[in-house]
Amino acid sequence: MQVFLQTIVGGLNLGAVYALVALGFALVYRTMGLVNFAHADVLMIGAYIAATFTVSQHLPFAVAVLASIVITGVIGLFIERFLRPLEGRDFDLMLIGTIGFGIVLESVATLIWGATGEAVPSPVQTRPLVVFGASVPTYDLVVMGVAVVAMLALSLFLERTRRGVAMQAVAMDYDAAKAVGINVGRSNAIAFAIGAGLAALAGALVGPELYVSPTMGGSIGIDGFAAAILGGFGSIPGAVVGALAVGLLNSFSADYFQGYADLATFVLFAVIVMIKPTGLFGEKTVLRA
Amino acid sequence: MNPTLNPLLRRYRAPAGYLLLAVLAYLLPYQLGSYDMHVLDTAFVFGILAIGLGIVMGIAGQINLAQITLMGVGAYTTAVLTTQENYGFWVAAILAVLASGLVGLIIGVPALRVQSHYLGIVTLGLSLAFTDWVTTSTLAGSGSGISGIPVPPLGGIDLSDDYLYYYLELVVFVLSLAFGLFVVRTRLGRRMRAMRDDPLAAGSGGARIPVLRMTAFLLAGLYGGVAGVLYAGLIRFVAPETFSTADMFLLLAMVVIGGRQSLWGCVIGALALSVVQDELTDLSTYAQLGYGIVVVITAVVAPTGLAGLPGRIRPLIRRQREQPALAPFQPYPATAAARETATGRELLRLDAVTMRFKGLTALREVSLSVGAGEIRGIVGPNGSGKTTLFNVISGLYQASQGTVSFADRHVHNLRPYRLSDLGLSRTFQNLRLFRELTVREHVMVGLDRTRPGWAWRYAIWPVGVWRAERRLGAQADELLDRYGLAGFAKATPYALPYGIQRRVELARAMAGEPRLLLLDEPAAGLNATEKAQLVEIVRSIRDHGTTVIIIEHDMGLVMSLCGKVTVLAAGQVIAEGAPADVAANPSVIEAYLGRAAAPRQTDAAEPAPSKTKEPTV
Repeated sequence: MQVFLQTIVGGLNLGAVYALVALGFALVYRTMGLVNFAHADVLMIGAYIAATFTVSQHLPFAVAVLASIVITGVIGLFIERFLRPLEGRDFDLMLIGTIGFGIVLESVATLIWGATGEAVPSPVQTRPLVVFGASVPTYDLVVMGVAVVAMLALSLFLERTRRGVAMQAVAMDYDAAKAVGINVGRSNAIAFAIGAGLAALAGALVGPELYVSPTMGGSIGIDGFAAAILGGFGSIPGAVVGALAVGLLNSFSADYFQGYADLATFVLFAVIVMIKPTGLFGEKTVLRA
Repeated sequence: MNPTLNPLLRRYRAPAGYLLLAVLAYLLPYQLGSYDMHVLDTAFVFGILAIGLGIVMGIAGQINLAQITLMGVGAYTTAVLTTQENYGFWVAAILAVLASGLVGLIIGVPALRVQSHYLGIVTLGLSLAFTDWVTTSTLAGSGSGISGIPVPPLGGIDLSDDYLYYYLELVVFVLSLAFGLFVVRTRLGRRMRAMRDDPLAAGSGGARIPVLRMTAFLLAGLYGGVAGVLYAGLIRFVAPETFSTADMFLLLAMVVIGGRQSLWGCVIGALALSVVQDELTDLSTYAQLGYGIVVVITAVVAPTGLAGLPGRIRPLIRRQREQPALAPFQPYPATAAARETATGRELLRLDAVTMRFKGLTALREVSLSVGAGEIRGIVGPNGSGKTTLFNVISGLYQASQGTVSFADRHVHNLRPYRLSDLGLSRTFQNLRLFRELTVREHVMVGLDRTRPGWAWRYAIWPVGVWRAERRLGAQADELLDRYGLAGFAKATPYALPYGIQRRVELARAMAGEPRLLLLDEPAAGLNATEKAQLVEIVRSIRDHGTTVIIIEHDMGLVMSLCGKVTVLAAGQVIAEGAPADVAANPSVIEAYLGRAAAPRQTDAAEPAPSKTKEPTV
C-alpha cells in the first residue's frame, strides 16, 4: 500500500510536468497543425537557463524560472518567424524544420554548458510531508501547484481575452479566421511563444528532480506528446487528464518493468495511437474530397 | 534534355556517366590512406541506410524516425546470432535482413492509422523503445554492446581489410541503389509517389494505400537490415550509442540536405555528410550546429535539397521555350462494348442513402438509378450534397444508412480502390493531381491496374516488371495523344494552365477504361472553347462505353450533354427528368432562387416522390 501510494505520488508529480509539456504541444498543434519537434529541446534550454540563474547567479528560483520563460519565449518567436514561409504549405517540411531547430538548440546547449550535464539542488529544502506512510517531497507539491496555476492562467487567457479567443478561432478555421481579419501570423507566433514558455517552465521545474543535460528532453518530450495525444489535442482538461495518465503509467512501469520502463511506455503509446488516434477527448475530423 | 545536343552524345551521355563513376569508384581506394578508407566504408553503410529512408520518407511520404533503429536491428541480430548462437556470418546476415524487414513492418503499423507528425513521433517513440531494450537486455550486452563479431568469410578474400571490404560494400551499394531506383521509376514507386502527393486521389485510382505504406516500411526495413549487416561486418562491434536519436537526426539531415525525393540526393547527402562529420570529429558539436542550421535553411529555402538544385537553376539560365498548345482530342472509336451498354441496363443504384456528419445530415434518403450508357447530370445549389453523394458512391464515405449497388453488386462499405477495380473512376471538384508527377506519370498511374501480389515480380523477376513497364509507357503515350496532352508529357501539372490540368485529371480518370465515370464540376474555370471541347470529350467517352455522371453548375452544358438530370437540394432529390422539364419544375426554381421566385402552383406537376420529409438544416 505504501509503495503503491508512493508510486502514485511520483506519477502525479511527473504528470504535472507532462501536463505543461502537453499543453505547449497542444497549443502549437491546434493553432498551426504542427508538432513542434524542437519542443523537448526548448524544455532543456529552459531547464539550463533556470539552473544557471539559480546556481551560479544565486537568483531566487522564481526569478530564474521567469527569466527562463521569457528567454525561451523569445526563442519560440524566432523559430516561428523563421519557419513562417512554410506555414500551411508543407507539414513535412515544417516537421523537418523543427527537428533542425532541435539539433541546433542541443548543440548550442552543449557548446555553452558542456555535454556532461549538471545536478541542480532543490530550491525547497523543507522535510517531506508524510501522508499515509508515503513521503511527499515538498518540492513535488510546489511543482504540482505551479502547474495548476499555469493551466488556470492559460485557460483564462484562451477563454477570456480577445487574443486568446482569436487564437481559438484560428485553431478552428484558419481561412475563416483570416477572413474576419485576425492576424493569423501573430496568433501563431504567440502560440509558439507560449508553448515555448510552458516548456521552459516544465524544464525549470523538473530540473532539480532530474539531471539537467543537453539530451534530457528526449523522453520527456515524447511522454508529453503522448499525454497530448491521449488527451486528444482538443481541450486543456484533456491534456491534463492525459498527462496524469501518462505520468502514472510511467511511474508504475518504472516499478514493474524496471529498465524496460521506456520500452513499455512507448510501445503502449504506439498501441494507443493505433486504437484511438484522436485521443480520449479529441474531435474526429472528416476527410474532404 | 537539351534539344540542341548532338543525338549521339545524348544517347550515350548517361551510360558514359555511369562508366566514369564506376571507374572513379574502382580507383578511389588507391588514393586513400587507411583511416580515410575506413571513413568511406562507414559512409557507404549510411548511404545504403539513406536509400531506405529516402524510399519510405521521400518517395512514399511516410515519416519514419526509426530508420536508424532498423539498421540497429540488422546489426544487433547479426551480432547476437554470430557471437552467441554460433551461426555463420552470412546465414546470420540473411536472418538479420529478414528481421529488420519484419521490424520495419511493425514500425510501419501505426502508419495505417496516423500520418505526418503523429507518425513521426510514434516512430521516434518506437526507436527510443529499441534503444531502451538494447541498453537493458542481457542478450544485447546490457548496454555495453557486443564485441567479437567474426570477419565475414568470402572465399579467399580477407574482409578484415578495409580496402577489400570497400569493394564488397561497393557491389552491395550499387545493387541497392539500382534496385531502389528501379522501384522508384516503375509502377510500385510511381504509386508510392502518387500516394505521397495525394493519398485520396491515388486510392480512388486503385492504389491500395495501406499495402503501399507497409511495402514502403518493408523496403526501409530491408535496406536498414543490409546496412546493419555491413556495419556489423565492418566494425565488428555494436553498441546502443550508434543507433541513438542523435544519429537518427544526422541521417535525416543527410537525406534532407541531399534531397529526400531523389535517391541519388539521399546517397550523395549521406556520403557527403558522413565524410564531413568525420573531418570535423574534433569539432563535433560545431558540426552538429552546422548541419542543424543547414537542415533548417534547406527546409525553408531549398526543400528539394541538393538533388533539386539543377531543376531549380535550369529554368533560370535557359530561355523560356514556347509553351506547346493543347492538341485537339481524338475521339474514341465506338466499340462493341458501347453498343452493348446502349441497352440501358441499370449500372448504379442508390437506395435511400443517408449520410450524417455529427449533427448535419448531408444526404437524406437519396435514391438514384443510373442506366448504362447514360450521361446523367446532378445539379443543385451549393451545399446541397452533390459532392457528398460522389464521395459516398466512390467509397470515400461510408453511408450512414441505405445501400449502394454498382453493376448488380452491393458495393456498400467497399474501399475506393476496390470500387476502382470494379470499374468506377472519378475526378475531383478541386483538382487532385500529384504535385511531383509528370503528366505522363499521371496517366500511367491511371493505367496501372496491377494488384499488390504483382509486386513479387520485383523480388523474383524484375525483367517482367521492366517489360510491363514498357507496355504501360506505350499505352500512356497513346492516351496522351488521344487527349491532346502529348506536348506536356514531361511537365508537372501545377505549372500548366488550369484548363490543361482539368484535361490531365480527366485523362487519368479515363486511363483505366472505367465503366462509370464521376465528373465533379469538370467545367469549373474553363473558358467557352474548353467547355465545348469538354462536351465533345464526354460524348465520346460515353460512346466508347463509359457511363458518365456529371455534377455541373453550368446549366447550358448540362442541357446540351445530359439525357437526364437529378436535382438535389438540402440533401434530398427534389426532381429528376429531362433537363428541360427539370428546369421548369417549380420546386427546382424554388430551391435555386427561393420561394418567392417559384410560380405558385398548387396542384399540377408536383415533384419528385422523395419530397416527403422536412427540409434539412
